[in-house]
Amino acid sequence: MDFIIRHKTIVAFIGFSLFCLISLTLKTSTPITTVEGIGSLFALPFQKGYDGLQGGIHRFWAGFTELGELRDELQRTRQKLMKYETIADELAEMKRENARLRGMLSMMDRIQYESIPAMVISRDPDNWFRTIVLNRGSSDGVKVNMPVVAYHGDEKAIIGKIIEVRGSVSRVQPIVAPEMKLGVMLQASRFPGLLRGYSSNTNLCLMDYVSKSVLVKFGDVVVTSGQGGIFPPGLVVGKVLKADIMEASAYQRAIVTPALDYNRIEDVFIIKKEPDREFLDLIKSAEE
Amino acid sequence: MVIGYVFTGALIIASLIIQGHGSFDVLKVAGAKPDLLFIAVVFFSYNFGSFYGEVTGFIAGLLHDAVSNAPLGLLTFPKVVLGYIVGMFGRSVLRENLATVFLLVLAASIVKGIISLFLCYIFDGASVASRAGVIIPESIYNAVLAPFLFMLYNKIFEREIERAGN
Repeated sequence: MDFIIRHKTIVAFIGFSLFCLISLTLKTSTPITTVEGIGSLFALPFQKGYDGLQGGIHRFWAGFTELGELRDELQRTRQKLMKYETIADELAEMKRENARLRGMLSMMDRIQYESIPAMVISRDPDNWFRTIVLNRGSSDGVKVNMPVVAYHGDEKAIIGKIIEVRGSVSRVQPIVAPEMKLGVMLQASRFPGLLRGYSSNTNLCLMDYVSKSVLVKFGDVVVTSGQGGIFPPGLVVGKVLKADIMEASAYQRAIVTPALDYNRIEDVFIIKKEPDREFLDLIKSAEE
Repeated sequence: MVIGYVFTGALIIASLIIQGHGSFDVLKVAGAKPDLLFIAVVFFSYNFGSFYGEVTGFIAGLLHDAVSNAPLGLLTFPKVVLGYIVGMFGRSVLRENLATVFLLVLAASIVKGIISLFLCYIFDGASVASRAGVIIPESIYNAVLAPFLFMLYNKIFEREIERAGN
């Protein structure tokens, strides 16, 4: 005991280091459920408290800063509402016509998904992981791999997907994260590609594996392709900033600016769409 | 000394909240924001020695891991290592002035970045190339900010620093 007290600095250093390394090692090996479970048990109360505190501070701060913005927003919303009211009848007629035409063409109705409104309560407090925390969790019906969108003008634009769910909060991996992989296509030419975050310190994305036969130019709109089974097709992702044709590769790639600024996202919608069963089976078989 | 522990805990929690708040992102330069939590750990280690530094680093790191999407230990281990190492070059070895603090935090931040990158590569299966670009901007940012934060923390922990004999 005397030895430990006399050498407490080095003993503590070795103890703490071993704890970290064992925790990291077990996380990447088989008994993941047990270790994660124990970790979550200790982390959850703190996370809940932290998220609650962050949410409180956010709302408190917003009370000072957003009053003017809210007034303008209200004015804009009223104008929009008036505009929408006038086109509502027109839209209903178009819907009826669309349904009739689809029926005539024996097409399946497009699946409509419900969505859950949510608010961003915090972003990761470091430069290493690009995730955001939302104030909705499993108690609101949120599940892992559900897509998250926000409005960009009148269009839905993609933010990312849910990667972790707890009781009242969930974590989103945004499309700007380098770990994110997303099936996309060029809206005009319909050529597909694979989108991922460009790097940890930019808010850009990289669309890779685009056929060289298509001319990709500045301003081309990129939308989700629906491939991969997580995101519904046709959601706006962003616009092409620059195309990059590499001589050595059979494909070209493009740098894409997301439609929504990751740093300024506040209100989002979680689409209640679970991944396609085939996709989940594929993931499971890959993990096994 | 109990008050010192309370202040230490409060400073860690405050750093974590400020760092995690969305408004803090406006301070981003070259895609990086300062790591206030790490600067606090370096401060404690520099002033109160390796033991205090590594314990603070361990607790701060666990909280940091808990609120980040990081595997438990990934953000803790670098703070423990740097808490231990900086304590050896503490106030008794390096006299505090602007240049010392700048260089100490710069060097510590770079080492922290390299350790984090190494752990990400081994345990997180992460894209190292995409994260490597964060290290230098974050380190410089930390180093530029550290002398001012050290001055503020010196005022807060004035009595504790005196009691520690520094």
